[in-house]
This record gives sequence, structure tokens and C-alpha cells, in this order.
Amino acid sequence: MRFLFASVRKDLERMRRDPLALATSLGIPLVLVVIITLVFGGGQATPQGRLLMADEDGTVLSQALTAAFSREPLAKMIVIETTDQKEGRRRMDRGDASALLIVPKGFQEAFFQSRPIQMQLVTNPAQEILPNIIQETLSIVVDGGFYVQRLGGPLLPALAAGPPPSDDTVAQISIAFSRYGRSLSKYINPPLIGLELQVTAEKPASQNIAAIFLPAMLFMGLLFIGNAHALDIWKEQLWGTLRRLVSTPASLAALLGARLISLALILTAVALVGVGGMRWFAHVPVASVSLATLWLVLSGAAFYLFLVTIAVHASGQRAASVIGNLVVFPLSLLGGSFFPFEMMPDWMASIGRFTPNGWAITEFKAFVAGSAHTKDFLIGAACMAAAGSLLFLLTLRRIRKLV
Amino acid sequence: MIEVEQLRKAYGELIAVDGVSFAARPGEIFGLLGPNGAGKTSTIGCISGLLTPSAGHVKLMGHDVVREGPAARANLGVVPQEIALYEDLSAHENLAYWGGAQGMRNPKLRDRIQQVLELTGLLDRAKEPVKQFSGGMKRRLNFACGILHSPKVLLLDEPTVGVDPQSRVRLLDLVRSQAQAGTCVLYTTHYMQEAEALCDRLAIMDHGKVIAAGTLIELRAMLAERDLLRLTGVFAPQAARAAMQHIDSVEILQADESLLLLSLPGASAKLPAVFAALAGAGAEVRGTTLTQPSLESLFIKLTGKELRE
Repeated sequence: MRFLFASVRKDLERMRRDPLALATSLGIPLVLVVIITLVFGGGQATPQGRLLMADEDGTVLSQALTAAFSREPLAKMIVIETTDQKEGRRRMDRGDASALLIVPKGFQEAFFQSRPIQMQLVTNPAQEILPNIIQETLSIVVDGGFYVQRLGGPLLPALAAGPPPSDDTVAQISIAFSRYGRSLSKYINPPLIGLELQVTAEKPASQNIAAIFLPAMLFMGLLFIGNAHALDIWKEQLWGTLRRLVSTPASLAALLGARLISLALILTAVALVGVGGMRWFAHVPVASVSLATLWLVLSGAAFYLFLVTIAVHASGQRAASVIGNLVVFPLSLLGGSFFPFEMMPDWMASIGRFTPNGWAITEFKAFVAGSAHTKDFLIGAACMAAAGSLLFLLTLRRIRKLV
Repeated sequence: MIEVEQLRKAYGELIAVDGVSFAARPGEIFGLLGPNGAGKTSTIGCISGLLTPSAGHVKLMGHDVVREGPAARANLGVVPQEIALYEDLSAHENLAYWGGAQGMRNPKLRDRIQQVLELTGLLDRAKEPVKQFSGGMKRRLNFACGILHSPKVLLLDEPTVGVDPQSRVRLLDLVRSQAQAGTCVLYTTHYMQEAEALCDRLAIMDHGKVIAAGTLIELRAMLAERDLLRLTGVFAPQAARAAMQHIDSVEILQADESLLLLSLPGASAKLPAVFAALAGAGAEVRGTTLTQPSLESLFIKLTGKELRE
């Protein structure tokens, strides 16, 4: 126990004496959080969405609907694009817009004739805020249309049928509006223009860009940290300190255990910076900061054991470095630590989720999203502990031979 | 106390140590000499626990190094030939770590670190990273790490290789002081003068075996007061051997095209006869060295080669 403490202190002191490596370890998550937030924007930025308008009526009234979304502050948030229904649906299936509004043919005529007519609003389930804004805005417009119908009464069909209204007609309409304005009891009737809401096929829960990228980047950082520390065993071998240790009552297992403990302390700092940055800087909702942080620490320690096992089985320090990089880079690329799974083709993402880091990222995202809980954490931690123990023993056996 | 009994270490077909036995007592400096590949390092490795013996036993203060490893190693201090230090840590931090490895605790550890830093003359540089030290300073710190826990058995594997004369004198004084304090010291070196000046008893190893052992006086007696005559030049080995047979009491230790090593009593008086005989055999002598009976001449007599080979 005494040696374990001395060894942890020695490892931490050595890490402190190498400020560049320490800064790299701690800086990786922080730099990534800042870069991704700057590139993709944090949670404070105004969201921008796209509303596709499939106007099959092509009348003044149908075009007036567009005007409802063209006023400030909506105009800052929603860009309107005109399209046809088929193309609009295709683009919605791709998740290319926040919503598609289909205005059917005969919309204006039905409005003026006070006949029931239905518009269709198709929303993107991968987004939450913008489709809701569009839906609410449209509801207000529909309600407004209903009131206009109530107020306009029989005058509206006349407006629709004939040539441009005369001054008398306009005056009559004004008087009618005034009269009907006093009669609120009529407003309780249901609107004649209905709004049918359709949601496209199920898609993953909503995530912002930072939520997609940051876990990937954090795990890439863990892999690099683990690889850098794994190579340090070779330094000890070259310095002869491993040989000297064998001639003392202390055990090599304690030396390796101390390395794991000191690395876990560094990983805790890295994880706190990473998860804290995600939550408070990039404004990614983190359901459980503690579980997410602990998961990062456990994953980092497991990666270290995996990589140190590979490193000590190499023929020398240089070979260990080359092999370590040959393992880390493909794992990063395939295991969702470089390109997130969300950006990969489905077949590649399916394979990538079976890699150690791919599995760990998937679980981490679940802890962040709140879809995994303490029980899932304990099961995952037990799996990692079992694999880690095996790797620990393999590493220890090999170090004894290296000495 | 170190007890080595019929120690054998084999690496596959290669037998590095072949039935070595010796014992070193508390307060004694026991020298282990031998050329490269003689089996010294393997013997030291088996004693320190670095290697597992293929056969035989090694006991340190009565504890078998294989069966009672931790107990045996608790009494052991090792100063390896290669400097074994953390270059990025300071001298004080290195000592604190190795003290921890020996199970030492504060305040004893703190006090002892001060003592050994003072002993090795590193007190004023204790906080500096080791990588800034000179070779001699690193050697002294390497030694300090070995004696930090006041071991009862101290293994020194060529501790003065590459050390400046000043540091060497200081290190040898430290070794003597350890022995005077009752530590059993096992010392290997290439430097014969060092071994002669330092060791109470010696064992000479070659081809994995101890070929001679005893005190310096006992070993010198094996030479029977014979001098060592070393001749360099151009020789015909067979003709030179034949020529030397005509000179009384000459023993040919080595004869090749460029070197002739002879062991003979009263060599200075016989030099003219030796030169004349060699000239008659067509040899051309270019250099002559006459050495009084010494450990080195014994070593050459026993092994047929110089220690540095």
C-alpha cells in the first residue's frame, strides 16, 4: 500500500513535469468543445429552419400565408422555399427542412365560400423548436382566417365571384366588420378551415451538432491519452527502473496499478472538463453528469489497459509506437471517434458500434441523453472491469518478461 | 549474508552459470571477477531476484530468494551497472520513490534521504531533475538509491564504470563505509586495481564457473611469485613456443602472431635470454611489459585472457 501511494505520487509528479503532455491531455476536450461550439454554434444562437411551401392553389390568399412567416422575428428563424408536393415530401423524408406546408387547390375559393378545406403541415421529428413555431404560427393564421370569415359573412362570396369591389362594397364590408365585432358569441363555432398535422416516419431523437460531435471528439481524446501513456512503460524499461524494482519487495502489479490510478485521476479531470464543457459551454443537455463523467473515466482506463497490452507485446518502444498508432487511428475512424456514427453510412456505423470505443460512445450518448441509467452503467462497468482485469494480467505477465 | 549453492542458470542450450557456489559474510566485501560472458551478470541476476535459477539455491540473510522473495529482497540493496533512475524527477523524488518501494515511511525516510544525499555529496542538487546531472552525479545517486534503506546485503554491479576519478574515490569510500557498518557487499568490477584495493575475498569466474576463490593473499600464492611478461610484436607462434622451451621455468600463457604472454620467476634477470631466443626464432619484439605478481596476472594465468576482453 505504501508503495502504491509512492508510485501514484511519482507518476503524477512525472506527469506534472511534462507540462506539454499534461496540457494536451487536459486541453483536448476543452479545445474540442470550444472549436465545435464556435463552428456550429452553442445553444444560445437563434435556430434557423426551412419551411417548404407546396402552393397548389396559387392564389392571392394562398400566397398571403407566406407573408405570415416573412415578418420579424419569424423571418430571422424561418426561410421559406416554394416547391411542389412531391419534391417537398421527398425532401422531408431526407430531413432537409423543418416543415412542409401543402396548400390544396381551391383553397381561396373554399375560404371565400366558407366551405371546409384542409391544409397539410408535415413536420420534421428530428427538430423540436422550429416545427413547433411553424405549427403555432399557422394555427394563429387559421384562427385569423376563421374570424375574417365570421366577420365577412355573405360579403366574402361576392368578393370572390366578381370583379374588383366598388367603394360601396368596401364600405359595406367595413360596417359588417364593425357589427360582427360586437357579436363575440359567434366566435365559439368551430373554424371551417382545418389543419391536419402529419409527422413523417420515426427518426432519432433531436440532437444538436455539439451533441453529435463532442462525444466522438472526447473519446478520440481518450484514445490518444491512453496511447501516449501506454508507451511510457517502455521508457521505464529503457531507464532500467523496472529491473531495479524487481530487486525490491514491491511488486510490478502495484506499479501497474499505480499507473492506472494516476491515469484515472488525470482522466477524471479530462472528463469533468469535457462533460462540463458540453453542458455549460456548448449547452448540450446532459441527463446525468456523474454517470457520463464516470463512464468517460472508466472508458479511458479500459482504453489504456487495451493499448498498454498491445504496447508491451511489441518488440520495442518504436514498434510499440507504430503499432499503437496503427490501432488507434482505424479504431477512431471506424468506432465513431472521428466521424460520428450519425454521419456514417448505416452499414459502417453498424460495424463501428461493435468496436470497443464505438460501444463506449454509444453508451456514453445514452447517459447524456438520459436513456440509460445507473443499472446500465453498472452492467457496462462490470463488463469493462472484467475485460480490464484480463488485460491487466496479460500486461503484467509481459512486463515480467521485459524486465 | 549471501549463500550461493550450486547455482545454475541456463538459457535453452546456453549454460550461463554452471554450479557456482560461494558465501559472503556480513562486513565483508566479496569481489566477483570475470571477463564478459563469464556469468557474473547472470549470477547477480539470480541473487537479486531478476532471474529465476535453473537449479541450486541462493539465500540472503537466511531467506531463499525464490521461495521467500519479498523477505529476502527486504534485506537487499542493488546498485545496477546501468543507471536506473527517473530522469525527469529530482534526486530527492527518486530517493523518496525507491524508499517507498522498500517500504520505508516518514519520518525515517525523510531523515535517511537527507543522510544519503549528504553522503553522496548531492544535498545541494537534491531538487534538480536528474537529467541535468553529470554522469558521475547520476552514478552517486544510483548508489544512494541502493543504500537508502540500509540493506544488510548490497550488490554492486560495476558501479564505477564511466565515473570520473573524484566520484570514483568517493564511491569506493562509500562502499568501504557500508562494509564497516556490517553490510555484506558483493562487488563486480572490471578494474583489477579496484578489486585489489577494495575486496576482502574474491571469486574469479569464467565460462559460468568459479575457477579460483579466496583472499587476495591466497590468490597471489597461486601464482607462486611468478612475474608476468607481456611481449608485443611479430611472432611465429610455433617457433616462439619452441624457442621458449630452452629457457628455464617459463610458462607460455598465450602465443599468437602479435602477442606473447609469459609467466616466469625473476623475469628481469631472464630478459636478455628471452630476447635472444625470440630473435633466433625470427620474432620481432616491439614492446615489453613486465608485471609483478598481481590479481591481473593471476586472472590472465587462469583464464588465458585479459579481464576487459
